[in-house]
Amino acid sequence: MKFCSIFSLLITGYLLSGCNPGANQDGGKSIVVGASMLSLQSEFVVNVKDAMENYAGENGVKLIVNDAQRTADKQVQQIETFISQKVDAIILNPCEVEASSPAVEKAKAAGIPVINVNSETSATPDGFVGSDDEESGTIAMEQIAKLLGGKGNIVIIDGYMGQAAQIKRAIGAKRILEKYPDINVLAEQTAEWDRAKAMSLMENWIQSYGDKINAVFAHNDEMGMGALQALEQAKLKDKVVVVSIDAIADALQAVKDGRLDATVYQDAKGQGEGAVDMAVKLARKEPVENKSVFIPFQLVTKENIASFLK
Amino acid sequence: MNMNLSKIKLPSGYLSKYGIFIAFLGICVLLSLTTPYFFTPQNILIILRQVSINGILAIGVTFVIIAGGIDLSLGSVLALTGVVAASFAHPGTYPLIVPVLLGIGVGILVGAVNGLTITVGRVAPFIVTLGMMTIARGLALVWSNGRPVTNLSPAFNDIGGGDLLHIPVPILLFVLVIIISAVILKYTRTGRYIYAVGGNENAARASGIRINRVKLFAYIICGGLAGLAGIVLAARITTGQPNAGIAYELDAIAAVVIGGTSLMGGRGSIAGTVIGVLIIGVINNGLDLLNVTSYYQQIIKGVIIISAVLLDRKNAQ
Repeated sequence: MKFCSIFSLLITGYLLSGCNPGANQDGGKSIVVGASMLSLQSEFVVNVKDAMENYAGENGVKLIVNDAQRTADKQVQQIETFISQKVDAIILNPCEVEASSPAVEKAKAAGIPVINVNSETSATPDGFVGSDDEESGTIAMEQIAKLLGGKGNIVIIDGYMGQAAQIKRAIGAKRILEKYPDINVLAEQTAEWDRAKAMSLMENWIQSYGDKINAVFAHNDEMGMGALQALEQAKLKDKVVVVSIDAIADALQAVKDGRLDATVYQDAKGQGEGAVDMAVKLARKEPVENKSVFIPFQLVTKENIASFLK
Repeated sequence: MNMNLSKIKLPSGYLSKYGIFIAFLGICVLLSLTTPYFFTPQNILIILRQVSINGILAIGVTFVIIAGGIDLSLGSVLALTGVVAASFAHPGTYPLIVPVLLGIGVGILVGAVNGLTITVGRVAPFIVTLGMMTIARGLALVWSNGRPVTNLSPAFNDIGGGDLLHIPVPILLFVLVIIISAVILKYTRTGRYIYAVGGNENAARASGIRINRVKLFAYIICGGLAGLAGIVLAARITTGQPNAGIAYELDAIAAVVIGGTSLMGGRGSIAGTVIGVLIIGVINNGLDLLNVTSYYQQIIKGVIIISAVLLDRKNAQ
């Protein structure tokens, strides 16, 4: 584990050297914001981080980004370090609902404003900018129900079992399934957010269920793309609907090409910028009208794909 | 069942040699009886395609383990070589040979660094390759900026998804790797040296074997094959993923151990590793076909792995 922490220090140093601390506004002391991110190995989190860095750079804010590597314990340690560094505000992209809560409480006890970005903790922070993951599951499953005309057989590929995003996306999807008794879940299994694992899983399901499968719901685009490739290789894609969540670049292209039926867009830029904006306002003790900003998910289909492709 | 087996008089060494193969057949028979979708030509082809990536990794690490070492960096090297190869595989840029050679080359380079640090630097393999596990993962993230490398040429993707003479390319590559590796280990001097070094390093040194060169060779083979596996994986999922292959080294090492290769070094075979790889692949496939829930899948997998090895050890006694 020591290796991991040494390495994350190196990475942090590398990221810091890329910042520009010289840009002071109003001649005063520039605001320093510490951010602990869920995992910089996740494309979506990297997009949020990039948006935060760009926005911070434009506004003369010094941003320190740490990677919590999906470990709540590490995340709490990073917040403790921010507290001893006396940063002006903290942005937390929580690893876990419960286990990351001490991070929020420690920051509040030290009198440093803390903003949760993207997902929630059971402890209440000073501000929240993010989306409700349940909504993404609801939107995706609603689209499947619509494309199937309210009846058919589906398979569900889960994210890593027990993680907040997996639990919430599953809850959102189940809520829609209750409305459609004629939609039958043939099988449900995790592929741990991994494209190769989802592809193998789908190949195996094609063996056991074959053309009985009418639709696939995957908890993220990586797994959706894996399922899509397995279906294409088995020459079944024309008969099966595939919908997943996140709107990563690859998935958007697949929607445009008519391969993926739909994905659900989560606004990384809006979340990243919103979080830094709120952090700066709270650090300067400026009034903030809305301390819980929910940025809605959006369904992406072939009809509206143009507005999502840059 | 064990009692019956022990009562039957078989030629000595028969069961110890074939115990794991019998366990494999047992699992296959059980799955054939419980699901009609298991024993079909199409499904067997799918299993072989699915196991080929883990198979190539496992064969590489077999060399290292027989030589008395270990490699924990496999999964990260897989990701690193995948993103490097993928970034030279965009359509209309370089000929196919460039990403292939670069992917394998980067794997060999990582293997050489592992091997040199272990032999010349005299650091324990566990530590060196644990360090390399995070270094290679970090390099993969730096190289790709934390994002998947997409838009790869159809020719490159065929390495993972295409057919040659009606056989999927990953299976052909896996079979090729099996044959070459088995020949090296069994019929060449270097192969015999690898067993000697892993079995008793001091004795091997006393008999004039250049220990460091033999070990370095094993790590280079392992790295190069991890590079090949990285290319096949990137081509199969048509993207270079910096976060691909997390914990893949565990499946590879499990396959080697199931196949009867001793973690203490000096004993083992390519044939055993292949059976180990097939056992893991068949279990993964079978549990999906039976739609066993993911929680139970993990438990069942672990129990089957330990039982297979137990059966093998019992017979070996």
